[in-house]
Amino acid sequence: MQLLGNRRFITKVVIVVVLASLGIFVLLPTFYLVSFTLTRWPEVYADVFANPLIGDANWQQILRYLTFSLRLSLIAVILDFLFGIPLAYFLARKQFFGKSLLEDIITLSLVIPTSGFGVATLLTWTGVSGLGALIGRGIVEASFVIPLINVPLLMLLVHVALTFPYIVRTLQGKLEDLEPAFEEASRTLGASAFTTFRKVIFPLSLPALFSGGVLAFARSLGETGATMVVAGIHTTAPMAIVRWVSEFKLATASFLGFLLIITATIAILLVDFLLRRDGGFKTLGFSMTPRIGDTILKLEKAFSGKVRWLKDFVSLAVVAVVVILPIIIVLISVGAYWSVDPDTGKIQGSVLYQLFGPSNYFATLMKATLASIFVAVIATYIAACIAIPSVYLIKRYRNGRILRYLLRIPLIVPSSALGLSVLLLWGPSGLNLGTPGIWLIILTHIVFSVPVVMEPTIAAYEGLNLLRYEGVARTLGATPYDAIETVSLPMLKRGILAGVILSFTRSLGETGATFLVMGSDVTVPPLVVNMVESLAFSAALFASAFLIALSLVLLLLFRIVARR
Amino acid sequence: MPDVKLANVTKSYAKGRILAVDRVSLHVHDKEYFSLIGPSGCGKTTTLRVIAGLVEPDEGEVHIGDRLVTHLPPEDRDIGYVFQQYALFPNMDVWDNVTYGPTVKAWEEEKRERIGREMLQMVRLYDRADAVPQELSGGMMQRVALSRALAAGAELLLLDEPLGALDAKIRNELRYEIRHLVKDLGLTAIHVTHDQAEAMAISDRIAVMRKGRIIQVGTPHELYMNPKEIFIANFIGESNFLEGTVVSLKGDVATVRLRRDLQVNSKKTEVSQKNERIVLAVRPEAFEMAKGKKKLVNGLSGAIEKVRFEGTDIRYEIRLANDDSIVVVRPSLRGGWLKEADEVTVGFPPEKSRLFLYPPKGLRAELELE
Repeated sequence: MQLLGNRRFITKVVIVVVLASLGIFVLLPTFYLVSFTLTRWPEVYADVFANPLIGDANWQQILRYLTFSLRLSLIAVILDFLFGIPLAYFLARKQFFGKSLLEDIITLSLVIPTSGFGVATLLTWTGVSGLGALIGRGIVEASFVIPLINVPLLMLLVHVALTFPYIVRTLQGKLEDLEPAFEEASRTLGASAFTTFRKVIFPLSLPALFSGGVLAFARSLGETGATMVVAGIHTTAPMAIVRWVSEFKLATASFLGFLLIITATIAILLVDFLLRRDGGFKTLGFSMTPRIGDTILKLEKAFSGKVRWLKDFVSLAVVAVVVILPIIIVLISVGAYWSVDPDTGKIQGSVLYQLFGPSNYFATLMKATLASIFVAVIATYIAACIAIPSVYLIKRYRNGRILRYLLRIPLIVPSSALGLSVLLLWGPSGLNLGTPGIWLIILTHIVFSVPVVMEPTIAAYEGLNLLRYEGVARTLGATPYDAIETVSLPMLKRGILAGVILSFTRSLGETGATFLVMGSDVTVPPLVVNMVESLAFSAALFASAFLIALSLVLLLLFRIVARR
Repeated sequence: MPDVKLANVTKSYAKGRILAVDRVSLHVHDKEYFSLIGPSGCGKTTTLRVIAGLVEPDEGEVHIGDRLVTHLPPEDRDIGYVFQQYALFPNMDVWDNVTYGPTVKAWEEEKRERIGREMLQMVRLYDRADAVPQELSGGMMQRVALSRALAAGAELLLLDEPLGALDAKIRNELRYEIRHLVKDLGLTAIHVTHDQAEAMAISDRIAVMRKGRIIQVGTPHELYMNPKEIFIANFIGESNFLEGTVVSLKGDVATVRLRRDLQVNSKKTEVSQKNERIVLAVRPEAFEMAKGKKKLVNGLSGAIEKVRFEGTDIRYEIRLANDDSIVVVRPSLRGGWLKEADEVTVGFPPEKSRLFLYPPKGLRAELELE
């Protein structure tokens, strides 16, 4: 009895500790901006809507940036669906040589530091050493805006490249789980491949499509690093937050951050509501008149024949152009810019000069690399310590679902809003626990790292039926803790590992939030943005190639570990 | 009219390392109820999937009726396919599932409605048309799947272990129901199962497969009475196997010397030659048995080692005087129950036994199921 009592007590302590750290490290910083904005509403109102000097000019700006960001994200997600769905289907159903390489390339744009990728894209489309080498000048101006949809081309390219993997990954996983019998049944009943997709596969994978879509949308809405690099004269909402904080316009910045958090939260709630209502099955199931239906059937039949390869080809080509090409070009260009700027022929524009010349960017880069790795290691470690027991809380207790809900929000909150929230909470104007610098960066990264570690772990948990195996261990005489340690944790290893790697690389590449809390402890991604803004383009080029190479090595390590 | 012809169909996986179907040739007649049976991994399901077009063969040809369909996609073959796990679309109710075929084939509204109603009435589930599949029992789901396959207008029905996921009682009922449907509608059916009793009960003809090849095709009666190989004698029904040598041949009878010089007579077969090493197969239900020393045809004495009461039957495990073990099955309500350690005499009529050449790799290897 004594033993049992002890065990219950320990369980309670563990639960309290985990809940407390979740609250302090993750939830409080996420939502602080909301309460900050609401509690200081008069101040915010005065600054945003009734500024004595400029009236509601700040509000007008907020509206402009916000609508621009929403438009950009929406179009990016639509393109993601367009290219991601065929790609996911292709990957889930076909076995071919080089498949795992293609999967790696798709994962790559999830782990790649975005500001480096921004440099790569900028160079590819506007520089003379990129695609421009073919025609002797840049393909497009950096600020080129696509007519009709009114969105800058480069930004759209970057956002599609950085967000389509969310669609591909979630959908591919779902399709691989889907019993092939459904598809086969449809085919034997006389439906063509496209009809089968529309009537069976698509409705069954709607939940995955929705959740992938939300992640992609949120990521695009919050993207800062690459966006700042390719922005030219345009400003997105998260960029505006960074700028306003540096101009000490905290009230306006926090109101915009507040709006971003609300938007992201509504997106999650809306999708969840749609899915819960009828499993999402009928959400898109519009009915049509028989004649149109028959025409569609005929078209699908025709397309299922000879032109089927076309959709695979197009989506693969998109991956090649928006992801692979920029990465290759940035790696090659380091060589081209090594000792002289090929554009102007000046030595001042070369990688060597900018790294080791008067501005000595090399030392700064090395210092930033150390800071980046330090932050990533500490933040990921703490996040894993909080996330793994949290998974148990979520899966074992009935109210765990609410917790999971709450913990998905930091994942989709735009990172500059998050950074601002942390700055206001822990920083000098809040609880004053630290001045901007490396510890504040770590506190910020923990916020999004916990859910990043948690999601793949939960996915692994759900696929494993761990309760059964733990039950077996218990019948063989293991205590609950023994069962977790000897059975569950080893089985969850791959999920945890995937989460840790994702969290590490995300921390390594994080730009938006870090900008706000870093003080003088610069990490690499903001450094790249700074280099671009101070026109040290060759140094930025080198740092980008360096970052990309670093994440490639990490990905390689991950594959080696995962295979074991 | 759909008869099905396979000619030298071959399919391998893992770059040719696993030969799933090995030069299979087969002719299923029009309106025949045909079963493919064999142990797991023998290639029966792959063969069925080749016929359906869900798997494309590496070599060989498939004809359905007059059409060469080897490279035709499944949707153009006019077949009905029933899956072991039902594969009812979970995003549609029963009605939408059943009318799926007519819908995607763009049949007229009125015809669609009529066929959906007829098919559901046929499997007695018309009143459940609004239900979603998850609400139905396994047997109901499989009946819906069956009517869905038939609603698409198929004259060739392919059934892949359709009863495999059901409870024993339901399984027994549904198998006769499927056969009735097939016969009433004048369809051709190819039924894959690993359950030989199921195949025996409902098939016009059966093909036994092993390791990717068809080893015998015949009516249930032929397979039971005249198995061509030891494996089939064991797989269809049950057999005792006794090792021995042919000592003499006279007319229709072969005399066989078993271990320790016991002699019995068996029906002569094409394999029997003098001094040939053979295996004698006798079914457990072919034996007569009497307590103590009695004079029986092919009488052998032994002792009962184990008695198992199985309800309908009683199984006796008997150690013969030459140390060979056999199993004898008697209907339990016939009375005359014996108990363990009883001395008995068993015998069998020569025409109900069968001789096989002793397999080159040994008896045990020949009987392996995997």
